[in-house]
Amino acid sequence: MRLWSFRYIFMMLCICPFFAIAQVEPADTAIRKTGLKRSERRYEARIHRYRNSVPSYSKIQMYGDMGLISAGVGWNYGKRDQWETDIFLGLIPKYNSENAKATMTLKQNFMPWNIPFRGNFSFEPLSCGLYLNTVLDNNFWTHEPSRYPHGYYGFSTRIRIHIFLGERITYEIPHEKRFFAKAITLYYEISSCDLYIISAFTNRYLKPRDYLKLSFGLKFQIL
Amino acid sequence: MENKSLPITVLLLFSLIAISCDMIEVHPYDTKVTGEKNLNAKNIMRIEGMLKGRESFKFAVISDTQRWYDETEDAVRAINARNDVDFLIHAGDQADFGLTDEFIWMKNILGRLDIPFVSIIGNHDCLGTGKDVFREIYGETNFGFTVGDMRFICMNTNALEYDYSEPVPDFDFMHRELELLPDTICRSVFLMHAAPGSDVFNNNVKKVFEYYTTLFPGLQFYIYGHTHALTVDEIVSDGVRYHCYQCPNIKKRTYLLFTVDENGYEYEAVEF
Repeated sequence: MRLWSFRYIFMMLCICPFFAIAQVEPADTAIRKTGLKRSERRYEARIHRYRNSVPSYSKIQMYGDMGLISAGVGWNYGKRDQWETDIFLGLIPKYNSENAKATMTLKQNFMPWNIPFRGNFSFEPLSCGLYLNTVLDNNFWTHEPSRYPHGYYGFSTRIRIHIFLGERITYEIPHEKRFFAKAITLYYEISSCDLYIISAFTNRYLKPRDYLKLSFGLKFQIL
Repeated sequence: MENKSLPITVLLLFSLIAISCDMIEVHPYDTKVTGEKNLNAKNIMRIEGMLKGRESFKFAVISDTQRWYDETEDAVRAINARNDVDFLIHAGDQADFGLTDEFIWMKNILGRLDIPFVSIIGNHDCLGTGKDVFREIYGETNFGFTVGDMRFICMNTNALEYDYSEPVPDFDFMHRELELLPDTICRSVFLMHAAPGSDVFNNNVKKVFEYYTTLFPGLQFYIYGHTHALTVDEIVSDGVRYHCYQCPNIKKRTYLLFTVDENGYEYEAVEF
């Protein structure tokens, strides 16, 4: 159980995109320049890795149980850039609690299809994946504090696991009009989290509109 | 064809937004409460107004309804169908995880009762931001109300959840209750979620708490929930004899029914 702590999963998911980048690297012609010494090639490869570790887009997402508004960066990878990994920082306003809270979200996206339209538009009929959200607040715990008998509640109030399905529309900005982004994507997602799914499972009372949550987002492709 | 399907998609997207406003949520623990608030005070006013001058009345008790929405709905239907109950007491644990929506779902179910209901905070209700949501919907966690010559003293006993941030149980509250008790009160009952001696009670003050309750005029009984079992105990302490009724969780499809008149009271566990 301890092994599956948030930190562990977080680290694994963080490393994921770098592995993917490392795999596609040798195919890149830039490093395969002939006539370079081994040390120079290694240096070039290293530069390339650094460049790839720079996030390739930024995102803004609203709602979706990760905060009122979340801003993040992420990386595309895969043959058709069908994979994305994002990291968000979000904000939960105070509402009726004692203080506003920050949240952090680690999100893995998969878009199997991309349908191009005329006029620089493209449509992704499905995006899906999961995200882990953590509340950065002392009233929430990952492991139960020691005052509780061991395993008293058996869940974490701090970390939620969400799954989602959504759709996206992308507008590729023509070269002459590019100002700060190459393309802008508008997306929506329908998600649910672990505790809602458990609750829905055993109750007829809960309807999809109770346990499914909607969110919207914008993605600005930079690299 | 392609040019046509894009606007349709956009239109679909926006109609989806329009129909699903209540699917928008900031966070499961966001404490955003919709609908009626401060329910305990409002319902107590209804109870006290309705039963003014009456010496005989009936009340039902349910407890530990967390994540049993279907069973709670059935309990509400069963109690509405009988027409002879004056009010209901929920002895705590409306939420399982302390999520804001859990309180709202439960409030919506209990809101279908034809009779007023009073809610006591349970240990599960305190998780995450649950304490704040409970307070927002129901009000203070220590409170009292009077029906006839009987004083109902409702207390937060979930000491483990407060970790010394607030006095639980609050003896200052008990002291004020005792000081301000009108002379017309001849009988007292205590309502709480976790019984003295249970795992979330501050058992360092178990005996002190029990002693303090015996100082109240005509202590009749405690009602509590928490361990999900139906138990009845008789206690004689400091020359005072009283009973302890533990309401089972709603999954057992049982509620407790108390019939009170000027001569005493009767207790019954009703299955539905």
